[in-house]
Amino acid sequence: MKKIVLILFMAGIVFGQTTKKSTISVNDPWLRPAAQGANSAFFFQLVNDGDKPDTLVAVKFAHSEVVELHETFKKENDMMGMRAVKNVAVPAKSSVMFKPRDLHIMLIGLTKDVKIGESYDLKLVLKKAGEIKTKAVVRDMPKMK
Amino acid sequence: MAAKINKLKVKNSLAFAMFILLLFGCSEKFEVIDDLSSTKFSLVDQTNSAREFPKLTKGKLTVVGYIFTNCPDICPLTTNNMRMIQEKVREAKIKNVEFVSISFDPLQDKPETLRKFTEVRNLDLSNWTFLTGEKPVVDSLMNRIGILAVVSDSTVFKDGRKIYYYTHTDRIQLMDEDGKIRKNYKGSEINVDEILNDIKSLD
Repeated sequence: MKKIVLILFMAGIVFGQTTKKSTISVNDPWLRPAAQGANSAFFFQLVNDGDKPDTLVAVKFAHSEVVELHETFKKENDMMGMRAVKNVAVPAKSSVMFKPRDLHIMLIGLTKDVKIGESYDLKLVLKKAGEIKTKAVVRDMPKMK
Repeated sequence: MAAKINKLKVKNSLAFAMFILLLFGCSEKFEVIDDLSSTKFSLVDQTNSAREFPKLTKGKLTVVGYIFTNCPDICPLTTNNMRMIQEKVREAKIKNVEFVSISFDPLQDKPETLRKFTEVRNLDLSNWTFLTGEKPVVDSLMNRIGILAVVSDSTVFKDGRKIYYYTHTDRIQLMDEDGKIRKNYKGSEINVDEILNDIKSLD
């Protein structure tokens, strides 16, 4: 009897862990096309449905030498530039857009051509939520709304 | 009778004023920003063939964009906008238009790099040329047309290779048949319908 209770208790723990739903989700993930050796950019909406803030600290991609979090910025006289950022905070019950002319993930030094119509697995690493898997399609532009 | 004549005079004056306004309005819209007709920049295209800018598109309206291929955000937007302009021009059955993209980063953007950049995006090169060249020539062209590109950030790979990124002018230009720059647009957020109308006005 004790054994059965123990088994049920352990099963409950395992079941509970595997069905625990993340409060972080990724909407409309997409990549820019780019040739082997060049750089692509990864865009998406990061949604935090939880009651606590979280922070995106890294992204993992198997087909680039380096991955960095970046933001595009404007300067005077129509000048545009970009710079690396260490992390991106996602407030509770909120979302952050990674979009053209704004925040994006730089996939630097591609080890293969990334062509329009293909799709790729990526992992977002958050401080609290851990790794979130997603699959991004390759296209030229965000979806028209 | 006199009142009728006066009314007619007022009408005619108004029409004349409108005509003058339209005339000056149009010419002001397309004032010459820079005249490149007597300049000659010896460059190479994506097939490594020698090309002279702006002579290569003489006699045609030209949409000119400025890029570097390591750019992850602004330059792909500029390139995609040029692709959309190309499609609109084709749909409108306007035949007198060429497209030119010029790299301001000739040290990293060799002809082969430009070729790959076009291939992976499935670009239609039937009336679109990508140019690069010797750094002094490219620098003098950028200086002449007012495109600024300043190295601002870089990435160093594990093996020590280094690539760098520019803070740069976000620009597409419309050049007339004689090599005169007639209008500047923000390359990454150009209104495609606006430039299409400008092309129709100049065609």
